[in-house]
Amino acid sequence: MSGIVYIVSESEYRVLRLMIEKGFSTGSIRQASHILGIDKSSLASIFMLLRDKGLVDIKEVSIKKPKLTDKGLDVLSKGFPEEKLINILIESGEASIADLSRSLGPETSIAIGQARRKGLVIIEKGLVKLNVSAGEALEIINSLKKALEDCSRGVNPGEPYYSELRDRGLIAEIEERDLYIEVRGDLRSIIETVRVEASRLTHSMLKSGTWRMYKFRAYDVTLEPPEILPARLHFLREFIEVVRDIFKEMGFKEVTGPIVELELFNFDILFQAQDHPAREIHDSLWVKAEPADLRGYMDLIDRVSRVHESNWGYRWSPDIAARLMLRSQTTAVSARVIVSRPKPPIRFYTIGRVYRHDSVDATHLPEFHQLDGIEGYPGYTFRDLLGTLRDISERLGLEVKFKPAYFPFTEPSVEGYVRLPNGRWLELYGAGLFRPEVLEMADVDYPIGAWGFGIERLAAAYYNIQDIRLLYTTNIEMIRRFNVKGWV
Amino acid sequence: MPVLRFRPERLYELTGIDLELLRELLFKLKCEVEESEGYIAVEVNADRPDMFIGEGLARAVKGIQGLEEGWVKPRTIDSGLSLRVEDVPSRPYIVAAIVYDVNIDSEAYLEELIQFQEKLHEGLGRSRRRAAVGLHDLDKIPSKNLSYRMVSVDDEFIPLGYSKPMKIRDVLERDEKGLAYGKISRLGDRHPAIISGDEIITIPPVLNSNITRLDVGTRNLFIDVTSTSLETAEAILNIIVSNLAERSRAIVGLVRINSPWGGYYPRLEPRAMSIKANDVNSILGTSYSLEDIATMLRRMRYNVYIRGDYAIIEIPPYRIDVSKPIDIAEDVAIYVGYESIGFEKPVMLYAKRGEYSRLSRLVKIIRTILVGMNFTEVMQLSLVSPTIVDALGFRDYSVEVLNPVQVDYSILRPTLAATILKVLRENTHMSKPLKIFEIGPVVYRSNGGIIDEECLAIALMDEDASYEQLQAVVYTLLRTLGVTFTVRKAIRPHTMDGRTAEILVGGVAVGYIGEVKPEVLEAIGLDYPVVLAEISLNKMVEKAD
Repeated sequence: MSGIVYIVSESEYRVLRLMIEKGFSTGSIRQASHILGIDKSSLASIFMLLRDKGLVDIKEVSIKKPKLTDKGLDVLSKGFPEEKLINILIESGEASIADLSRSLGPETSIAIGQARRKGLVIIEKGLVKLNVSAGEALEIINSLKKALEDCSRGVNPGEPYYSELRDRGLIAEIEERDLYIEVRGDLRSIIETVRVEASRLTHSMLKSGTWRMYKFRAYDVTLEPPEILPARLHFLREFIEVVRDIFKEMGFKEVTGPIVELELFNFDILFQAQDHPAREIHDSLWVKAEPADLRGYMDLIDRVSRVHESNWGYRWSPDIAARLMLRSQTTAVSARVIVSRPKPPIRFYTIGRVYRHDSVDATHLPEFHQLDGIEGYPGYTFRDLLGTLRDISERLGLEVKFKPAYFPFTEPSVEGYVRLPNGRWLELYGAGLFRPEVLEMADVDYPIGAWGFGIERLAAAYYNIQDIRLLYTTNIEMIRRFNVKGWV
Repeated sequence: MPVLRFRPERLYELTGIDLELLRELLFKLKCEVEESEGYIAVEVNADRPDMFIGEGLARAVKGIQGLEEGWVKPRTIDSGLSLRVEDVPSRPYIVAAIVYDVNIDSEAYLEELIQFQEKLHEGLGRSRRRAAVGLHDLDKIPSKNLSYRMVSVDDEFIPLGYSKPMKIRDVLERDEKGLAYGKISRLGDRHPAIISGDEIITIPPVLNSNITRLDVGTRNLFIDVTSTSLETAEAILNIIVSNLAERSRAIVGLVRINSPWGGYYPRLEPRAMSIKANDVNSILGTSYSLEDIATMLRRMRYNVYIRGDYAIIEIPPYRIDVSKPIDIAEDVAIYVGYESIGFEKPVMLYAKRGEYSRLSRLVKIIRTILVGMNFTEVMQLSLVSPTIVDALGFRDYSVEVLNPVQVDYSILRPTLAATILKVLRENTHMSKPLKIFEIGPVVYRSNGGIIDEECLAIALMDEDASYEQLQAVVYTLLRTLGVTFTVRKAIRPHTMDGRTAEILVGGVAVGYIGEVKPEVLEAIGLDYPVVLAEISLNKMVEKAD
């Protein structure tokens, strides 16, 4: 064969194999169905496909088939009239027409006429007698009965029976269409040129080596696949991890601190006067709890009280410093770090939740994450701080610009604005060098730069989320479908 | 940060600088500028109250632009006014001054003046608790002899904006300002007042009398500042007088304060500080010469005299934010501009090895293992509603916010069950089993103290979720982490007895696994069974060593 390959389906292939096994190459569908053991309608559609591929020819033929008439059905159940006659004669040897009329009734003349035509009986002197032996007579009758039975199954019994039964009105002739199959050529050589089309490559094909006889159907690779809803890590924390990695790469050590914090660390060490408006009840959140025990911080408290009283000119109260609040800034963690007087050079950061006296809306949450970083060593300067902020911004993929600012605990103070990909400037950093008063309270003798920024606002910008509440969605489907594309 | 509104024409008249350049210069001076409703809104930092009025803004802008420099002490004369101070226990200090020829020539200026007063009240005045300012038309003050003393709240005066006399008591208890500030300095039936002749001209810190009200056309101003702190009172008076004295031809009139600490006010003396170039350079990382620094500081409106290696700096009395060389250094940086001062990567710090906290390291691993077991991470606020805490039976262990804004966020979750069950409730329509986890802080009471720790919660919700399904997850997680643990039967308020186990690491209970009680599910509004595990990551980090 000149390299022609026929592609067939699995079921077509199965039919071709069966045809070889069972030796069927020509015949009607009905015969094929019978031989191959496959129902006619499936077989018909498979042969149609094989014909389209040029493997078989199909001719439509019409076949005449007998069908019993009502009379035929009656005879089938009660027997032929001549059969009844023969049975009487086998029993009595001979009988008068009058006697027979009594037994056979209106069928009498048909019975005698048919028996005579077949040469089974003769009539002598008014008596009907067998003309052949009983055995011969029964054989002839039985052949006729068998022919009628064939007809009842739609099978043509052949002549002379078919004509006789038809002429006697026992059968009618109906016409049925049938498909007549003929293989084009030798099946055994055809099958060598056939490749089965398979939709999937399977383990068993590989294991058995039968993959060779398969042709793998081409898919429409552009069709939309079903959607998958994967288990996911939360996008907000993923963003926090990105930030964490940036700080780790830069050589920062991560520290943590408590959420329920003493005012001492949240405010006093950060040089916020105790009557400063930022310490008022409408800016921060406090907890219903007994004040903390300050006995562990006696040296610190001496320094804090001295610095506050000499600079702000008021009476500093340890009772206020001991009150417990929800930290309003993670600078409280940095305050705890510097109070531990780490050996320079230092580079620390923390990321944690802070709490504010805000109601929930599209741009506010009563709690959010804040990063706070500190670094320093003897000789550290403001330009170093700006250098670090610039580097952090670059690593976040953002342009930065600086503006003078005011925070009670830093001097010089700076605000860093970053330019988002949409061109908008976002106020991100609050930063500065810790004021000498802060360093004095912490008992640290080298300059320290500090900065903080809110994570949520940046994360919302990063993911292009307009409503900050969506960062804390309860909608699991949204988390599982979340598109994490940002600008980095 | 205080936001001040100015008429654009006022700012142009004062500076001669167009808006675009003005915006840039103000940005350099810590201010942000926006235009709104025909006004220019300028956000000024709280540490520069001297810039809360057009004249002050203009002074700073003209300096940084190089149009003017240094500071000139205003001319002063004795006004002949005297103010006798009696014992006012709730608000003991008062200082006062006069500025002649202020000349309130427009509504715009009057508006600004009132705004100036209000912003000083809010910040330095601590909402008038610490200090309050009274501005009066000098020419309407009945007598040159004034006194500051406690009066009866049954005394009467005509409050600002009223036409008939009223009892002080009624003003304090009915007027809008009285309700807002009436309790600050009131002592029983007595309240501080300034009296001129027989008239009460103000009841600080609440309201002035209508007699001395300012109007367009008022030329000369009498200013009083009452306070609980003499230092604050003097600072505020200096800021006001310095700015009013910037008006053309204005002259400051001295007022004699008769009190043990008194004398003539205002005291517009500059403070002196001497610095070396290095005091500035070592902070900023720059290398400016002393002469450069002197020039820059003059443009920041200081008077500077060079004496050898030192610059003697005269700090104008209105610059109350300047007290240390670092403040001077900041002004140098502001003059140069934060964008122009340059930057340096602190190279030596990059040699350090970066580290995650141990908790973060653990969290990173846990998250990847759990998502690998098909659990989706959720994240919720730690402030929750008391309803859910009550449903869990955790109220006694929980810590409440003293001053919540909304009741839904008024309690710190004592267990992650509070938020993870809430999330499940919102997702019962999702295909089951639903598997989620959350990592975050919980805060609860234990042995009289408050514990604040990072926890992990894992939850599984299904038609018939049961203990062993989640047990397998927890065991796999802990074994993958290499944590040696044991379990034992336990009791928890929100999980079923007999279906709750405690996880122990190093002999300490670090968490539990349990099926949530049906009554808890019902109270929360969940109609699917939930198995829950919760582990304290702080305890695990501590005990896993």
